[in-house]
Amino acid sequence: MTRSVPPARAVALTHRLLMRQLVTRGRIGALLALGAIVLIVSAAVGASDEVDDRLEAGVQVMANVGFTLVVPVVALVFATAALGDTREDGTLVYLWLRPMDRAPVVIGAWLAAITVSLPIIVVPLTVAAALTRGGNTLVGATVLAAVVGVLAYSAVFLLLGLVLRNSIVWGIGYVILWEGVLASFFSFAAKLAIRGYTRSIITAQTEVDLDLGDLSLAAGVIVPLLVTGAALALSTARLGNLDVA
Amino acid sequence: MVEVQNVTKAFGDVIAVSDVSFTVGPGVTALLGPNGAGKSTLFRVLCGLTPPTDGAVRVLGEDARRHRDVRGRIGLVPQQDMLFDRLSALQFVELAAMTHGVSDAADAAVRMLGHVELDPDEPKMVGAYSKGMRQRVKLAAALVNDPDVLILDEPLTGLDPVQRNRMIDLFHNLGESGKCVLVSSHVLDEVARLGSKVLVIAQGRLAATGDYRALRNLMDDRPHRIKIGVDDARTFAAALIERGLVDGASVRGPSVVIDTGDIDTFGRAVAGVSKELDTRLREVVPLDDDLESVFRYLVERR
Repeated sequence: MTRSVPPARAVALTHRLLMRQLVTRGRIGALLALGAIVLIVSAAVGASDEVDDRLEAGVQVMANVGFTLVVPVVALVFATAALGDTREDGTLVYLWLRPMDRAPVVIGAWLAAITVSLPIIVVPLTVAAALTRGGNTLVGATVLAAVVGVLAYSAVFLLLGLVLRNSIVWGIGYVILWEGVLASFFSFAAKLAIRGYTRSIITAQTEVDLDLGDLSLAAGVIVPLLVTGAALALSTARLGNLDVA
Repeated sequence: MVEVQNVTKAFGDVIAVSDVSFTVGPGVTALLGPNGAGKSTLFRVLCGLTPPTDGAVRVLGEDARRHRDVRGRIGLVPQQDMLFDRLSALQFVELAAMTHGVSDAADAAVRMLGHVELDPDEPKMVGAYSKGMRQRVKLAAALVNDPDVLILDEPLTGLDPVQRNRMIDLFHNLGESGKCVLVSSHVLDEVARLGSKVLVIAQGRLAATGDYRALRNLMDDRPHRIKIGVDDARTFAAALIERGLVDGASVRGPSVVIDTGDIDTFGRAVAGVSKELDTRLREVVPLDDDLESVFRYLVERR
């Protein structure tokens, strides 16, 4: 008897399964601690009497701690694990050898990663933006940039988890070396740094200048979404061609 | 139901499967081979989990790697032990049913767990299960979609003798109902009970195919090498050659090592020769009675 799983059902099944696999006490605890760092720094800046321009100070905190550390690292941990862990531990076969198309499995995995990452990133960053007393504009810019950042980073890191072993190490290399160092010196590297787009959203909304943040709001939103689509398409192709243990 | 044509699978310079061809229909077929012979790789190629380097595989007429729907007609027990450890057995098997598009997934999962004698109400996560219980969970998950082709990679590992017998009965029932059941094992006695159709794989090559009994005779008829410990090894070796009981003999210290193609005649005569020469027979030890030697012989004779 021939059966197949409708795409929406395959997305839902993959999402539900991987959510369960991704949420572990260790991961959540460590990443909430990361969010606590940005909250502490923001609270300190907000409470300081020596700050002349609260909006600029708030933007600097969000850009240099929130969008440099919290957004990419949280997305990295969950997105590389979503399919990468199943690939490495051999459980991917239980999703792969099924009458399901590859794209719904990839989308389900991506949705699982962002379902876990979004609250861990957006809630502390929104509270942190408010704590800096930089105003509602900063809070709104932070929420928008965080959401766009999570979507794009998660798609890229999901792909990384399917392409490379030890993907978390490669991902940290990308965040630190590529986005942190190379993007500051080379314009082509900056164009391939998601951080540049999240910073551009903040700059466009708050009009506070940031390194790498010189693109329009439209570019800051649309390019990461295009990157997301491309990364998901590549992940789908990669999943179909994978050597499964 | 399963066609394998000149399949070769290489991982870099290592050739795991070399130019293997066979066709398997309904019923139970055992894939016998020592560890590292290429059984799991061959099964992975069959399921489409890895593409062949050369050759072609068809399961139910399709390539499982490319054809979505045929994947729903295959049940696989992989050799690797990992499961989604944070699910109960019922959740794991139900998930397998749902990802196969089975409409009554919960009922099917309960039924299959019953088939493998596991309690569907057991709240323990599969991560806390013993090896044998995990093996049965994998088996229930492989059966839950009522597959036409079942590929079972060492499914009896970790089971106790009673469970083994029950699982073997289950495989036979499935085979008799028209399913194609391919079961791998490295244990000769296990294969004897699995089915009369056997594929023997060794060093990545198909060493023999056919009926188990014919294969068993072939294995028994192969040349044997035996070490005999006697008081006067040189005289004893000469006597064996003189009587035409051995194909060759060499003296190694206090022992004689002989080759014979007729193990039964040699076995019946050796004590008599010892008595005749009035020499004490200390030991008679087969040097090549392990399964590896049997497989090596089968490969070399092809």
